Amino acid sequence: MNLLAVSNLTKRYRRGGKTIAAVDDVSFHIDPGETLALAGPSGSGKSTIARLVLRLIEPDDGRIEFESDDFLALSGAALRARRARLQMVFQDPLAAFNPRATVARVLDDPLRIHGIASRAERPRRIAALLERVGLTANLAPRAIHEISGGQRQRVAIARAIVTKPSLIVLDEAVSALDVSVRGEILELLLDLQRQEKIAYLFISHDLGVIRSVAHRVILLDAGRIAENGDAQTVIGAPQSAIGKALVAAAPRLNRAGP
Amino acid sequence: MSPLRRFLRTPEAVAGALLLAMLIAMALSASLLFPGDPQAIAGPALLPPFQDWSLPLGTDRLGRDVLAELFHGARTSLAVGLAAAAAALVVGAVVGTLAGFAGGLVDEVLMRITDAFQTVPSFLLALAFVSVVGPSLGVVVIAIALGTWTGPARVARAEVLSIRERDYVAGARVIGMHPLAIAFREVLPNALPPVLAMSSVIVAAAILTEAALSFLGLGDPNRVTWGGMIAEGRAVLRTAPFLSIVPGIALVLTVLGVYLAGEGIVETTAVRRGLS
Repeated sequence: MNLLAVSNLTKRYRRGGKTIAAVDDVSFHIDPGETLALAGPSGSGKSTIARLVLRLIEPDDGRIEFESDDFLALSGAALRARRARLQMVFQDPLAAFNPRATVARVLDDPLRIHGIASRAERPRRIAALLERVGLTANLAPRAIHEISGGQRQRVAIARAIVTKPSLIVLDEAVSALDVSVRGEILELLLDLQRQEKIAYLFISHDLGVIRSVAHRVILLDAGRIAENGDAQTVIGAPQSAIGKALVAAAPRLNRAGP
Repeated sequence: MSPLRRFLRTPEAVAGALLLAMLIAMALSASLLFPGDPQAIAGPALLPPFQDWSLPLGTDRLGRDVLAELFHGARTSLAVGLAAAAAALVVGAVVGTLAGFAGGLVDEVLMRITDAFQTVPSFLLALAFVSVVGPSLGVVVIAIALGTWTGPARVARAEVLSIRERDYVAGARVIGMHPLAIAFREVLPNALPPVLAMSSVIVAAAILTEAALSFLGLGDPNRVTWGGMIAEGRAVLRTAPFLSIVPGIALVLTVLGVYLAGEGIVETTAVRRGLS
C-alpha cells in the first residue's frame, strides 16, 4: 500500500497573459519508510511539488492520496488534524521560524494544537524532543535567532517529528548548512527513518547527497518528470539529457562514477 | 549602547520627553493641587495673570481660575489623545491584518470600507458623529478614532502582505495552526513596528482634533478642555488675549512634546533594528 500517491498533478501560473505549467502532469508514489528524492535544476518545479503535496498551494489538476484518503478533499479542521501526519522542514532554518519565537514555543505549538500533551506535561516532552534530535534541554528558553544554523535545523526537525508523522517533506533541508553540519543532519534524518519508519520526500539539487540517502529519485525538467528510478542506477548512468547535464555539473560524482 | 541611553543622547527626544513628562505631571497632580471643581468661580472676572499669586494665571470671564483649568484640561487632552490613538491603532491593526492575511473577498470588502472612511475628511467625520450622538468624552474618543484608523490599517495590511509569504507562516500552517491564530499570533506581532511608528503623529493629531471639537462647542461640556478655554477667550480676545494664548501655548507644547518623544522612540528602535 502506498503511503502517498500523486497522480497527474498539474499547477499552472499566469505570467503576463502567458500560462506556464510549473508542474505538468506529474505522478509518483512513496511507500512507508522510503526516501524519494526530487532533483532538477532551479525552476524545474521541485518546491512547487512540495508545496502542493503539503496543501500550501492548491493544484489545478490531479489527485493526491495520502494514507489511502483523498488528501485534496480535506478542508478546515479535518485538514488541520491530518497535517499532523505530514510535516515539512524548510531550506532556510532562520526564515522557517517566527523571529520572535523561542525554541520552547516552536515545539510547544504542535503539542498544544494537536492536544498531544497537557500543559503540565509539555516542558518534559519538549526536553525529550530536543534530546532526540541531539540538542540539550537547556536550549529551550533560548530565542531562535540566538542559536546556530545547525541547531536551528535540528529544532526544525524536532518540530516536524512532534506529531509522529508518517511522511516528512524535506525541501532543500540541508542545502543551506555547511558541509560538516550537513553530514550530522543527514545522519540524524537516517536514524529517525530507521527508528520511526518515517518516509521522506527529499528535495535537493545535490546529487551527491541524494545518492547517499535516497532509495529512488525523480529527475524533473520544466515541471515534467524526465527520469525516474533507483537512485544509484539513475545517478550512476543517467539516460535523459537533463540527467546527464546534472551529473556532469557535479564533478565529484563524475570522477567517482564508473 | 542601550536604547535608553541612545534615546537620551538625542536632544529632540529629551526635549519631547521632558514636555511630555510635564504634561503627565500636570494631569496627575490636577486634583491634588486644585481639588474641587475647576469650573467653580474663584475670584473676580478677567483678572490678568501675575497680579494675584493665589490666582497666578488670572481668571476668565466668569472668574474661574485659569491655572486650575489648564491643569484639569491637561487630563482631558491626554486622556482623549491617548485613548483615541490606542483605539485607532488597535482597530487599524486588526482590520489591516485580516484584510492582508485573508485576501480575496474579505480583503476587497475591508479595504473598500477603509477607502470610504478615508475619502471623508476625518475632522468632518468627527464633527458629524459628535453632532449626531451628542458630546461626551467617550463619544469624542470614538469620533476621533473613526477618522484615524485607516492609516494604521493600510500600513498593517501592506506589512502583512509581505509577511504572509514567509516560510514561518507556511510552517505554522503545516503544523495545523488555525488561520486566525496564524494571523494574530504569528503575523500581527511582526507587522506591528511600522504601525506603532505612526502612533506619535496619531496622538498629536488626536489632541488637536479634540481641541478643535471643543473649540466648536462639541467637547464634553462637563469637562474643562483647552479647546473650550480658547473658545471662551475668543469673545474677549482684544481685552484679555491671555485667555486664548495660555491654553494655546499649552496645546502647542503638548503636540510638540508628543511628536518629538515619539520620533525619538522610533529613531532609537529603528537604529537598533538596523544594527541587529
